Amino acid sequence: MEKFETAVDVLKNNLADAIVELKVPRPRKAYILLKSERHRDAVSLLLKHVEESMLSTISGVDLGTEIELNYHMVCGGTVTLKNRVPREKPVTKTITDILPGANLYEREVFDLLGVVFEGHPNLERLLLPDGWPKGNYPLRRDWTPPLIQENDSGSEEDSQNNSEEDDVGSLVSVVVGPQHPVLHEPERFNFTVDGETVVDVKPRLGYVHRGIEKAAERMMYFQDVFLVERICGICNAAHTTVFCQAVEDIGNIETPPRALYLRTIVHELNRVHSHLLLLGVGGHLLGFEALFQHVWRDREPVMDIIEQITGNRLMSGFNTIGGVRRDINPNTVEKALKTVKAVRKRAVFYKNVFEEDATLRLRTEGVGVLSKEVALKLCVVGPVLRGSGVASDVRKDDPYAAYAEIPFNVPCYDECDTWARLMVRVDEVVESLNILDYAFNNLPGGRLRVRVQRKIPEGEAVSRVEAPRGELIHYVKSDGTAYPYRVKVRAPTLANLLAFPDAIRGGYIADIPSVMGSLDPCFSCTDRMAFVDTANGQKWRWSLDDVNSHKNRRVLL
Amino acid sequence: MLKWARTKSPWLLHFNTGACNGCDIEVVALLTPRYDVERFGIKLEPSPRHADVLVVTGPVTKQCAPRLKMIYEQMPSPKFVIAVGACACSGGIFQDCYNISGRLDEIIPVDVYIPGCPPKPEAIVQGVAKLLGKLKG
Repeated sequence: MEKFETAVDVLKNNLADAIVELKVPRPRKAYILLKSERHRDAVSLLLKHVEESMLSTISGVDLGTEIELNYHMVCGGTVTLKNRVPREKPVTKTITDILPGANLYEREVFDLLGVVFEGHPNLERLLLPDGWPKGNYPLRRDWTPPLIQENDSGSEEDSQNNSEEDDVGSLVSVVVGPQHPVLHEPERFNFTVDGETVVDVKPRLGYVHRGIEKAAERMMYFQDVFLVERICGICNAAHTTVFCQAVEDIGNIETPPRALYLRTIVHELNRVHSHLLLLGVGGHLLGFEALFQHVWRDREPVMDIIEQITGNRLMSGFNTIGGVRRDINPNTVEKALKTVKAVRKRAVFYKNVFEEDATLRLRTEGVGVLSKEVALKLCVVGPVLRGSGVASDVRKDDPYAAYAEIPFNVPCYDECDTWARLMVRVDEVVESLNILDYAFNNLPGGRLRVRVQRKIPEGEAVSRVEAPRGELIHYVKSDGTAYPYRVKVRAPTLANLLAFPDAIRGGYIADIPSVMGSLDPCFSCTDRMAFVDTANGQKWRWSLDDVNSHKNRRVLL
Repeated sequence: MLKWARTKSPWLLHFNTGACNGCDIEVVALLTPRYDVERFGIKLEPSPRHADVLVVTGPVTKQCAPRLKMIYEQMPSPKFVIAVGACACSGGIFQDCYNISGRLDEIIPVDVYIPGCPPKPEAIVQGVAKLLGKLKG
């Protein structure tokens, strides 16, 4: 709260000449329109005067003649700095030199809206496919899909070959992905290795880019709830909560307290199953197969509760604008409380395993170190940030739903390594179960939802929640119709991805799976690696298990 | 003999072509103690060259389409494809998005469709069982 007021005051006092318009429509939300090209001053002022301030994302909005760039800065609340550039010649200055964490966001805006950031270190394609025609920016309002020729399989390989040409001396490039059987999404990582040491890594995203932000503009608000739910199957409740909050914010809709509690319950159940999932997968990535099977067995009762409350194991379809869609009955509450108790017992047991198992600690301690300074500079979020000693949690800093009323702790570790990041999640499972316990026992009565008009008044809103993987932010702009003008989504994985090169640099090839797992990306293609030795052009493959057995052998020796 | 071996122990290759993780998690959940499909000899296999059945989840994005074709071509014949989830079956909620290359069955032939968003693990087991029934003739 205080931090947020300092931030607004700092900007008012030092940048009075550059501020065109300043609005604070809600507590902890400010929207500041700046004169063009003054965003750099504002960002550096906030970084200098407000402790632990970070950039959430940059959302570009096509206004017709201008493109508006919204820099969402987190300092207690959200300060949105607006910088407008002409659409005819969309060029602006980068902020990556002040805040390296802006790297991927600027690339995203460049890719989808065609804004050029002068001075950006590698302004390249981020999301769109390799064969995408030049000059097509899908998020501009007047853009219609051109007739694109199916890109031939060669184009993907081309970019791969280019990077191989960079190989010099003993450096070898290792391509991981996009196909991998055990985990979720297909992405490709190009590692440069020297012997066993990782020198650098270049991720290639966009294998799962579907164009949801554009699709959201074609659907009505209440339909969009189901669309944003399908951004991610694991943290779907976080996506719907944050989207509904943003729309309720624009429309000044008061959500009934019972709905807020029910939202919190589904959101926390989501977190418990997501963390258990990751801890199991973490065990699998370390070659600790029994842990994987055990954790996933204990995850099933949680899935049962979600199914009983929402009607589906994963896609809850639970939240809606103005409230929630289903009520829960006392029988369910009773059953859920029993499950919470049982799972808490198991969570305490797993904490013990993570603390005392020698192999597990050897594989994770001191591996993938991400210092507090680097973490803040790269604007990482969620458990990754908390594993680097910054106790930042949207639920505490900027309470939403029922979190202001529920007591809970924010686990935080100072070790900054893979182990710390896993431990944060183990502790959070216990905290979430306590929250669930409290919420089930203190469920207020009353209505489930309020009636909401299809048309939402003109306005804009930024909304944040703490998804299982970290801060999730949606920016919604309305032009007074039933269809949103712009929906911008920044999922936590994109924020944490930038930390991956820093965490793995200097580490061993065998640590790649565990470090990547500890960042809990919504993808993990560590499964099959193609090794290419450029000296003799020989190719060979290692499966994930080979990598693990190799590493375990070394630990045991 | 070959037919007997295939129906007793089909090896699955899972490929996500742009799914939201919902179906993928359910596919992985099949391997864990509650569902444990390994007791039927069903096994997830990392390499396309050793797999009998390709399990595809998600709408096919433009970036993934060439890779999907490549994986399908790398699998030894006879090969079978299972489409898991609404997105793989029809494109689902994403069917008109600009980065989607089309339905899965427009790109590679599909043998079994398992609808649902996401389908329950039981439904996926049933889908695989249907495929096995088809193989037995």
